[in-house]
Amino acid sequence: MKDIITQIFEIENKIKTEDFASFKRNFQRIYHELEQEGYIVVNPLHQPYDERDASVEANILNESGQSLKITKVLKPTIYKNENGNRILIQKAVVIVE
Amino acid sequence: MENINFGIDLGTTNSGIGKFQSGKVNIFKNPVGFRDTLPSVIAYRNGRILVGDKARELTSVQPENVFSSFKRKMGSEFSYHVPATQENKTAIDFSALVLKELINFVGDEKPTSAVITIPASFDTIQSNATKSAGYSAGLQEVLLLQEPIAACLAYANTQNISIDESKKWLVYDFGGGTFDVALVSINNRELKVIDHEGNNFLGGLDIDNLILEHLFCPILEKELGTDNLWKQMVSAEKGIYSKLFFELLYRAEEAKKELSIKESVYVELELELASKFIEFEITRQQFNELIHPKVEETVKLTKRLLEKNNVSNQQVERIILVGGTTYIPYVKEYLHQEFESTVDSSIDPTTAIIVGASYYAGTKTKQNLSTEKAEIKEEVPDQLRDVKLVYEVNSQDNEELLTGFVPNEFSGYYRVTRTDGGFDSGLISFHSKFNEFLKLVPKTSNFFHVKIFNKHQVLVFEQDNLSINHGIYNISGQPLPNDICLEVDDTLGTTYLERIFKKNDILPLSKKIYKTVSKTILKDSGAQLIINIVEGKAETSPASNLCIGYLEINASDLSANLLKGTDIEIDFEISESRDLTVNVFIDAINLEISQVFNASAKQVSIPKVRLELEKSLNNIDYEIEEFSINNRHEIVDRLNDLRLEIIELLKALIDIEDDLVTDKIYNIDERKRKAFQLYDDLVRRKNVIAEIEEYQAYKAEIKEDLLLKPNAKIEHVFNNIIKNEAQFLNSNQTSIIRSKTKELQKISHEMYYQHDESYVNLFYQYAYKEISDYSNESVARKHISNGERAIKNENYIELKAIISALYHLLKIKPKDYFEDKNGTLGLK
Repeated sequence: MKDIITQIFEIENKIKTEDFASFKRNFQRIYHELEQEGYIVVNPLHQPYDERDASVEANILNESGQSLKITKVLKPTIYKNENGNRILIQKAVVIVE
Repeated sequence: MENINFGIDLGTTNSGIGKFQSGKVNIFKNPVGFRDTLPSVIAYRNGRILVGDKARELTSVQPENVFSSFKRKMGSEFSYHVPATQENKTAIDFSALVLKELINFVGDEKPTSAVITIPASFDTIQSNATKSAGYSAGLQEVLLLQEPIAACLAYANTQNISIDESKKWLVYDFGGGTFDVALVSINNRELKVIDHEGNNFLGGLDIDNLILEHLFCPILEKELGTDNLWKQMVSAEKGIYSKLFFELLYRAEEAKKELSIKESVYVELELELASKFIEFEITRQQFNELIHPKVEETVKLTKRLLEKNNVSNQQVERIILVGGTTYIPYVKEYLHQEFESTVDSSIDPTTAIIVGASYYAGTKTKQNLSTEKAEIKEEVPDQLRDVKLVYEVNSQDNEELLTGFVPNEFSGYYRVTRTDGGFDSGLISFHSKFNEFLKLVPKTSNFFHVKIFNKHQVLVFEQDNLSINHGIYNISGQPLPNDICLEVDDTLGTTYLERIFKKNDILPLSKKIYKTVSKTILKDSGAQLIINIVEGKAETSPASNLCIGYLEINASDLSANLLKGTDIEIDFEISESRDLTVNVFIDAINLEISQVFNASAKQVSIPKVRLELEKSLNNIDYEIEEFSINNRHEIVDRLNDLRLEIIELLKALIDIEDDLVTDKIYNIDERKRKAFQLYDDLVRRKNVIAEIEEYQAYKAEIKEDLLLKPNAKIEHVFNNIIKNEAQFLNSNQTSIIRSKTKELQKISHEMYYQHDESYVNLFYQYAYKEISDYSNESVARKHISNGERAIKNENYIELKAIISALYHLLKIKPKDYFEDKNGTLGLK
């Protein structure tokens, strides 16, 4: 399932910003249905880099290490709810600058 | 005597821990990130000690504070300087941190003894250094096992291969960063490493780089109109292609994994610099040619190992594979081609060493090794009491502050992790008090695990399930006094309430739901789609609740026919001042309606009230009859009163038909709600119980039938129906329970018609109908007479055909009981 979610995420990212409005509801609906099935998908784009955040696997570009931010997300974070417990099933793969 | 049972692979690049339990090995997953292995990397950043994945990713940012591959320095005098803490550390110190982290993977019963694996090349000093690291990590007993032996044990045990006979195996270990090959002799259950070879700088990462340099770069150079792209990407000077390098490395690793199962893959890349996406194909053939020199290098080392030990290819009975790079099919194919031995890849090569170490640990009994580790033995520390943890239970922020207070001038370390594996504070030193901002997953409950360690990093306090809710409750808002519900159609022609917001949920609130159209509404047909939002109790009848939002979408408002089954998206928002905003969107006909309902203005529709009253009269008549039969006269009297009240209300409705000025309609609505509440009190409980009983009866019947005549398909459907049984049986909603009963009836019906004899009954139902019901009486008579003959001859195939023919001759076709009824509201 996480591969399917990653593909959905990739499709979403391939749509040009100016065209996105017409797909927005479809993606909202897909993520809503995924949530009903227990999958929570988090896109960490633009979040500040946090070395404590184990839900992302970061590739850090800026060697100064100052004010680092996530500038690109190759894979989203996916959690799965199972019997009331949420567990991380996919770490986001991100680029940090 | 108790066995050691715990096995640890303390690797150069990755480490892991397992336990031998009831004849098999269980690999413990990292509670942070849930992976089987832990990168053997330590980093110091912002006062924290990080171990594993998060430490590794800091390599490029602050390499001076990140330490990896320290295993290569085990047993040496080498000392690492840590600028962040101004301390000097040894490979033993770092290895101990990795071991502590691995011990942390294990739940409650922490190991006191363990088997730790070491490379075949380790000498006595290096071996003793590994033992010291184990003791520093809190183990009281450490047994060492050579990695190739561990791998052999893993294969032999999982496949029940005999190790009694004399034979030789090759352990081919091709990992992420290193390559090792060992020749192992097996004789009478004794395993011994004869010799080994290796290259410390040859691994899977080299292959990823090769893909990038030789398969990706030539294509990209054309797209980007540049030369020497590889050199530009990896040069020390960070340029415009540095970011691209990381993305390509990720794609290369993905392509490598995919090529292990497919003959070709398409690689898709976003070229931000050229503002486009490109796509190209890589075949397994290209990939194999590319990696051939690397695999050849490992083969040369392996051949050299055999030659120097005078062992021929034929003498190698089996080559066993270890390390993630051996997933690549070409590695296996090429080894088989070169050595003509069995190449065994039957177990997961990334965890083989852990599995082998654990099997070994499962055969070794614990010793009382007080002498060996006496010098570092510590007394069991007292657990801390009076630790105070202060935090907000509800938060709207992305992070929430946790403050911990420990009395008596305590100095030590703390660590906070989120139980979903997405947050880890790392190990941080503190004195008396600590503050940590905890990162929250939005709109859900977050559970944290807090641990406090003494200055020797021994656990002295632990608290599970510290819970912080994000965005679920707004602490400043008012609670909802009642449920807020949407009235929806069921499949039986009646309606019920679906709860949108729960009583005591805190305002403001918002929620998006998706429903479907339950009846076709043809444009210009005069029909309407009704959205009725009520406040009250979800488990009561819709008409007994207060309407707070009422929206009619008329057929004339539609741009096209609205077909049954079309999706409807409805957004609900209730502000702090309790204004309700409803936004309805129907994508299929591109209709969007938004309406705000003010809390002070009541919403009453005369036609809807009339419909509710009229429908209720039938129900009351039915209930009066039921209670009369059971001699419940007091209830019959009250129902009769109720009946009169409803007739009065219907009359009153006629009187105010054209009255748009007075508020008589609100009075009628109030009386109607009271009447329905009374009706609910009198009969609803009884009806719910009756529905549950009927449901249980069908369930028991189907269970019994399935036992006598198992049917996997029906059993699957059956299990799906009863899956959330506790929830719907406790819903107090007759129509929900009845819908479930109907689904059970449907499969019961299906099971009944699996027996050919059932068609005899069905045939007689048709045979006993009035002959005038058929459009052609003589043909019908002929069919009936043929049917009787077919029954006599037990020719059920013919009988089924005759029943079908009779059905088609019927002037009025019987209604399908199981067909979903159209709704009255149009929303399901």
